[in-house]
Amino acid sequence: MLVFTRRRNEAVMIGDGVEVRVLRIGRDGVRIGVTAPPAVAVHRREVYDQIRDENRTAAGGDGPLASLVSRVRTRMP
Amino acid sequence: MKPHPTVADDVPVHVQTRFGAFDVRARDMVSFPEGLPGFEQCRNFVVLTAEHIAPFQGLHAVDGPPASFLTIDPRRVMPAYRCQLSRHDQQRLSAGADTVLLWLAIVTLTEGQAFANLRAPVVINPARMVGFQVMPLNALYPLRHPLTDGE
Repeated sequence: MLVFTRRRNEAVMIGDGVEVRVLRIGRDGVRIGVTAPPAVAVHRREVYDQIRDENRTAAGGDGPLASLVSRVRTRMP
Repeated sequence: MKPHPTVADDVPVHVQTRFGAFDVRARDMVSFPEGLPGFEQCRNFVVLTAEHIAPFQGLHAVDGPPASFLTIDPRRVMPAYRCQLSRHDQQRLSAGADTVLLWLAIVTLTEGQAFANLRAPVVINPARMVGFQVMPLNALYPLRHPLTDGE
């Protein structure tokens, strides 16, 4: 891992066109701004992890399908 | 994209899934160029509909590691559901502003309950047979919206 010291308003460039800038430094967190081309996806790490974990749980789910379907049908018009 | 070697054009292939057995053709396959988070190797899926699982649909991977999802139209779950795609996301689907898209919320079955992931829906452009899972920038909708009443 590459480690930098950055002050407020200083930035790091990654590859072609990705910039990570320190906007504000607080006691509990650092506010950063990311500028990236539209084709580069930028997510909060924990959001991605949560969705990946939920996908894994969903793919492994092996509950009783028939009873679930009838239970959900009764709740839906 | 090269189809799964066992699925040839117009020759139905019998696929056994957790939703039952289905005949799948190459033209039924939806390309997911990036897979799904956690299932990046799954690049081709089929959407399975059947009377016995309605109003759910299956989203079944035909390549990569085994992956088979139960899904539901998020608007069946929440009629006011709206998900805005960025212009880049529209381009990933080769979709315009008027293109009719298929939306699927992935369903998680756990501890006897069912939940729909309304936060990160799967979106498919049926005209191009291409799709991906939307990564939301906000937490407007829940990751686990209950579909069943608690015990």
